[in-house]
Amino acid sequence: MPNSLPGGERIAYVWRVAAVLATVGLAAALGALAPHDADHHASAAYAVSAGADDCGEGWSTPIAGRQTFTLKNTGVAGTEVYLQGVASGAVYLDVESLGAGAARNESVTLGRGTFRFVCLAADTDPSYGPRVTIAGAAQHATPGIRPVTRNDLIPAAKAYGSWIRSRLPVLVSDVARLNSDVASGRLGAAKRDWLAAHAEYETLGAAYGAFGSLDTAINGMPSSERSAAHDTRLTGFHKVEALLFDGALPVVITAPTRRLLADVTRLKTAFADARVDPLDVGRRAHEILENALQFELTGETDAGSHSSLATLDANLIGTVHALQPLRAILFSRYPALAATDAAIGRTRAVVRSFRSASGVWRPLGSLSRTEREQLDAAVDGTLELLAPIAAICDVRRQA
Amino acid sequence: MSLKRRDFLGGMIVTGATAPIGAAIATVASATAQPAVVADAAFPFHGAHQQGIATPIQRNATFVAFDVTASGRAELETLLRTITQRARSLTSGGRPHDVGITAPPADSGVLGPEIVADGLTVTVSVGASLFDERFGLGAVKPARLRTMEAFDDDALDRAVCDGDILVQLCAHHEDTVLHALRDITRCTRGLMQVRWRRDGFHSPARPSGTPRNLFGFKDGTANPAAQTRDGMRRLVWTEAGAGEPAWVAGGSYHVVRVIRMLVEFWDRVSMHEQENMIGRRRDTGAPLTRTNEFDDPRYQDDPTGDVIQLDAHIRLANPRTSESISQQMLRRPYNYDGGVDVNGNLEMGLIFACFQQDLERQFVAVQKRLAGEPMTDYVSPFGGGYYFALPGVRDATDWLGSGMLS
Repeated sequence: MPNSLPGGERIAYVWRVAAVLATVGLAAALGALAPHDADHHASAAYAVSAGADDCGEGWSTPIAGRQTFTLKNTGVAGTEVYLQGVASGAVYLDVESLGAGAARNESVTLGRGTFRFVCLAADTDPSYGPRVTIAGAAQHATPGIRPVTRNDLIPAAKAYGSWIRSRLPVLVSDVARLNSDVASGRLGAAKRDWLAAHAEYETLGAAYGAFGSLDTAINGMPSSERSAAHDTRLTGFHKVEALLFDGALPVVITAPTRRLLADVTRLKTAFADARVDPLDVGRRAHEILENALQFELTGETDAGSHSSLATLDANLIGTVHALQPLRAILFSRYPALAATDAAIGRTRAVVRSFRSASGVWRPLGSLSRTEREQLDAAVDGTLELLAPIAAICDVRRQA
Repeated sequence: MSLKRRDFLGGMIVTGATAPIGAAIATVASATAQPAVVADAAFPFHGAHQQGIATPIQRNATFVAFDVTASGRAELETLLRTITQRARSLTSGGRPHDVGITAPPADSGVLGPEIVADGLTVTVSVGASLFDERFGLGAVKPARLRTMEAFDDDALDRAVCDGDILVQLCAHHEDTVLHALRDITRCTRGLMQVRWRRDGFHSPARPSGTPRNLFGFKDGTANPAAQTRDGMRRLVWTEAGAGEPAWVAGGSYHVVRVIRMLVEFWDRVSMHEQENMIGRRRDTGAPLTRTNEFDDPRYQDDPTGDVIQLDAHIRLANPRTSESISQQMLRRPYNYDGGVDVNGNLEMGLIFACFQQDLERQFVAVQKRLAGEPMTDYVSPFGGGYYFALPGVRDATDWLGSGMLS
């Protein structure tokens, strides 16, 4: 996420996973329309040009209902094509990366309104197609929203970056306390320090390589077929965890703890002048929890502290903070925002029900089947609601 | 998209291929029907009964049991309405809604841009646990529905038994089944969680007649209940009255038993012993007393079991007495292949599924009669449960379970 740090190599994989998981959202919370219906409504097909000079030509005599376009880029450069509501600027269809000479089938369902195509060839001003007016309503009309631009996202990215920056000194001081307690042999205190420091780190939205190689150093997992205790190349929280919670002697834990302190200090320094990529903010909102589902709710990251639920709780806090700066953008664009907040709140309540009054988290493995199903359902339902946020906050051109 | 639709009874008439083990080979005397799976594009969704019961058995299936995580009746209704709406759409096909730039794609795309029905049926059944205190449904529980008990020869793993809701998805191809499963789980996320799941396949006729199970035997030579509307009425569809609440009319008790078959052991058994255990020839499927697959075994001519042992599977399952006629059930099972066991044996077997009007009179009575049959050494039932297949969805405004929740 900060541009001074190397990117994570898991990103491509993550996006395949994310695409699979994405959805219209939890039907109950969204009251959403289903992905498709059995009955067939009015539809019409058009061959439409998408060059700078002939943008939108061919969309004649439109009818209310599904429009199917064969969009052909007649220009000499790659282009992006919007189908836009003229009055609102809302975009109903965004065809990205349409190569010169290439044609693509797209469809959209439109009701009453005046629309036009906008062709956005790279590095040139938008060209606008003829205005087309549709009379009459359509069932299951495609929702249109105003595209989110880089300018819209920059303040959100700055705000999110500032929040992370404000937490890094806390993280460093948490780890310093851990380091000092280990050094002086206070291992009971060190375990509490570890849990606090790790939870702090897990709120920061480091999911899927956001902090690049420093995340690997700070919070990496053992390599394939190695345990955290036996992977000699492993550093960071899980190395310390494996030793600390397995009763290793302080002298053995000292070096990895000192290294962890050095790495979180480096993160603080590196992040001081880094910018969060605007594209990342929208993705972070659901990636943190996707990460938790994949690695925490499988117990995969547990190297002995059995604190998967504490981590999940921290990830939910991190999700709230990632969502916070996007609220102004989402307010007019995402009808299920309130349902999303409610789902996060519900999930946090479920997770926190597994923490004792004295603050001790239950091991994931101790949950009954019913408890586990309630937990999984809450997380899964929340993820479905978070998924559209990344799609909405994809960076698009102003037109 | 042009959808070829079949009339409901038309579907019943060609049904003829299913498999037993552990419950019944319930062939009627005069049955001569040949299995004929017709590659329908779409089976009708609306009707007095659900699809996937009388529907000719499709090639692929998944059986997925869910626990409901929704809280309260309103959320349960939302869940059932959502499943209904998805089932209605998926089983007729069509194009996914366009979501524009507001969300990830509405559909997984596994079936291409246009969703094909491909013979998909969605059958939804409820387990006894749905009628516990959570939803206040105790008073309307189908009278004979209960948690599946362990029979003498069972080795049940409760982690893969029971569940609040069972969804049976069947289609002509595996991708269609998995597409439907992903769609339904996605649209109901948060409201229910998968409890157990088992995928199955229905073999083609080898070389003719009833398809074979993984013991190599033709299995379920005929399905009398499915042959006629009257048979379905007498044997499959549950009726109101006799202790049953009114809403159950048109539903059916749905039993699923996941049965491991010890195929390596079986393959080390002589043909003679195999055929004696079953009571049929392996090659033709004919009862040992006769020549052709669909011949009546004529137990009256073999009263002491000289030819077909008295404890042969087909004889215990369906002794063809006046009593056993009303014990017949509609079987709709699938073979499964589940990988490898810890001892290196192949893990495969049968998903025995059947529908009946009365759980006790039919499945349970037959199952008790099969206790201790010689074949039990070669099979191990470990999963499944008792469920009640909800009555059909009458029209575009109706939904699965509307009678139960109203």
